[in-house]
Amino acid sequence: MAKPTILAIDTSCDETAAAVGRGQIILSNVIASQAQLHQQYGGVFPTAAKQAHREKIQPIIKAAIRQAGLGWPSIKAIAVTQGPGLAPSLEIGLQTALNLGQQHSKPVIPVNHIEGHILSVLAQAKPKQGYRRAIKPKLPALSVIVSGGHTEFVLVKKIGQYHRLGTTVDDAAGECLDKVGRLLNLGYPAGPIVESLAKKGNKKRFAFPLPMTNIKTFDLSFSGLKTHSKRLIKNLIVEEKLTKKTTADFCASLQEGVFNHILYKLTKLLDEVPVKELWLGGGVAANLTLRAKLRSLARTKKLTFRIPYSHKLTGDNAAMIALTAGYILERQPKTSAKSLDRRPRWAIGGN
Amino acid sequence: MQAVTVLRGGGLVIYPTETVYGVGVEATNPEAVKKLLKYKSRREGKPLSIAVSNQAMAEQYVQLNEQARALYRQFLPGPYTIISQGLGRVTVGVESEFGTLGVRIPDYPLITELVQKLGKPITATSANASGKKRPYSLADLFDHLSAKQKSLIDLVIDVGELPKNEPSVVIDTTLSTPLTMRGSFTQADRVFITHSDQETRQLAGKLMLKYWDRAQNQGLLIALNGELGAGKTVFTQGVGQFLQVAEPVSSPTYTYLNEYDYSRHDTRGMLYHLDMWKIDIKADFEQLQTEKLLKPGNVVVVEWWQQVAKWWPKDQQPDLLLNLEETDEQTRSIALKENN
Repeated sequence: MAKPTILAIDTSCDETAAAVGRGQIILSNVIASQAQLHQQYGGVFPTAAKQAHREKIQPIIKAAIRQAGLGWPSIKAIAVTQGPGLAPSLEIGLQTALNLGQQHSKPVIPVNHIEGHILSVLAQAKPKQGYRRAIKPKLPALSVIVSGGHTEFVLVKKIGQYHRLGTTVDDAAGECLDKVGRLLNLGYPAGPIVESLAKKGNKKRFAFPLPMTNIKTFDLSFSGLKTHSKRLIKNLIVEEKLTKKTTADFCASLQEGVFNHILYKLTKLLDEVPVKELWLGGGVAANLTLRAKLRSLARTKKLTFRIPYSHKLTGDNAAMIALTAGYILERQPKTSAKSLDRRPRWAIGGN
Repeated sequence: MQAVTVLRGGGLVIYPTETVYGVGVEATNPEAVKKLLKYKSRREGKPLSIAVSNQAMAEQYVQLNEQARALYRQFLPGPYTIISQGLGRVTVGVESEFGTLGVRIPDYPLITELVQKLGKPITATSANASGKKRPYSLADLFDHLSAKQKSLIDLVIDVGELPKNEPSVVIDTTLSTPLTMRGSFTQADRVFITHSDQETRQLAGKLMLKYWDRAQNQGLLIALNGELGAGKTVFTQGVGQFLQVAEPVSSPTYTYLNEYDYSRHDTRGMLYHLDMWKIDIKADFEQLQTEKLLKPGNVVVVEWWQQVAKWWPKDQQPDLLLNLEETDEQTRSIALKENN
C-alpha cells in the first residue's frame, strides 16, 4: 500500500519551514531564511531569521507543495510541530495547520520537533526513477541530537518509544560554539564559520577542560567551556595575539573540547546501554569533524551509524516532521487534532 | 509560670512582644511544631524563626559569623530577626530550606524570662494566620481566626493593646553581605560575592524567599545583566530550584524564551526564562509578546535586560535588577537593586 503524502509545517524557532513527504521519501523541503537569503549569503546561514513567521508561512507552504509537484488533492494529512520551541512561533504554525486542515478537510497531526530530529536519519531523497527500498533500522538505537538549542542522548526502543538518557544542564553544544564564535567576532550563529576555520587550525594549541567527568549521569554541560573560552579570548585580545592563525587554532581547539565532551559521555553511555545503531541529528550533525568522531566510535562499537542524507535535514526543517507524522499515522491511523495547544517544553522520553 | 508548663507539654501559646502578638510552641518538639504549622496554615515553605533569651542560647542553635555578631551587639535584644546558618537542632521545618534559621531576642522581659525558664527556644512568628491583619490586640487576632484555629490555642497571655510597632526587621547574614529579608535596614544597593555556582543559586533562592509573597500576589520580574559566562543562567537555576521546577533549567539563548510549570507547596505558576542576547530590533522583541508573561504566581527572569529595557512595558518595572560580574573562575560579584 502506498504511504500517505503529508504536508508538514515547522515554526519551532527562527526558521519558517514547510515540506512534503511520503513515508521516508522527502518530496520537498523548504526553509524560509535559507531559501530567500541563499544567494546573498552564499549558502551560509543568516544571522537570524528576522521577519515574522506570519508573513512567510503561506508562500513557504505553497512553495513546498509546488516543489513536490503536487496539488492539495494528493495531500492526505497536515503535520505540524507542537513543541518544543518558542511559544509565539509555535502558535503560528499550529494556527496555520488547523486552518488549512479545516479548509481542505485534512486531518492535522501534532509532532514533537525532537522526534523529528531523531527520525531525520531515516529520510531518503526522491528516486530519479522507480522505487527506493525503505530503510529498516535495527533497534534499539541511540540517537544523539546536537543543535543550537538541544544536546540530547535519546534511546530509541521502537519508533515512537523514546527514553532520554542525557541532556545538557546549561548551554547546548551548538550554542556554545555559536556564542564563543561571536566572542571571536565571527557573527551569530557562528557555528558553521567556527567549523570552516577549525579545518585550518591546530586543535592542540589550546587545552579545554573535560566537564562533568566526576558526575555519573550522562548529562552534559557546556557553560564551563564557554566561560573558559571567554577568559582565554580576553587574554589574547589584551596581549594582541588574536591573529587569523590564532583564531583558527582557537576554533579547532574549542570544537575539539566540545566534541570530546560529547564523545566522553557517549562512550560511557554505550558501554552501559546495549544498542544496535548510533544516529546523529540536529544542526551540528552537519559538522564533519563531529560526524567523523561518531562514525569512528560506532565502528569500534560495531554499530550501524546513520546521519541525515542532506544538510537541509540537520538544521530545523519540516521534512523530518512530515516523516515523523507518517510513522504516527501508521501507529494511529485516526490521528486528527481539532485544537492544539503549543507545548514549548515538550521533552521527549523524559523521566 | 503557667506558660512554661503549657509549652513544655507541647502547647501553643499566644504571647506579646515589642512588635506584635506572636505564636509560640517549643521549637524542638515535632508535635508542637506540627500544631503550629496547622495553626498558621498556608506557610508556602516559609521558615519559622525562634525566640531565645540571649546570645549564648542562640549559639546553641545557630552558627554566628562576624556579621551576625556585629548585628547582635548593635540590635539585640530588639525588633530584629537575625538569620544565621542553623545547627539542625530544631524541628525540621523551623529552619529554612537552605538550612538557615532566624533568631530573635525580644526586647520584652516577660518573654525572654519565659524562654529562660523553659530552657528551649520557642517559635517567634506573628500570631495572625498567614496573610491576615497584623495582630496588635487579641481582638485584631481573634476576628480573623477560624474556629478550628482557635481550638488549637492552649494559652493566651493578654496584655491588652500593643503599640503599633512594625514587625521585626529580618536580616540574613549567611551571604557575603547582609540581606534584609523584611523591613528596611539600609537603602543602599548591595553587592554579594559568591564563590561557586552553588552559592549563586542559593543567593537566588534566598531572594526568591524574600519576594515569595510578591511573586504569588503580583508576579515577579527579575532582570539580569552581565557578560557571557557571568552566571545569569546559574542564577536562574537557583530561581528554578526554589520554585521546585522539575526539569533542568538550561540556557534559553536559542529559543529566546523557555517556560516551565512549577508547583511549590500550594502555589502553581510559570517560570519564564528569557534571553535577549540576540534581540537587536524592536520587531523581534514584540514577537515574543513578553507583556503577557507577568501575572500573579508567575516569575519572569530576563537575561541581557539592557538589550530590551527601553521596550519593556513601562508599567512593569523589574522587582530585582542584578548585575553579575566574573571576578575569577569561581567567584562572582553580584550587584542587587531592589524596587520597593
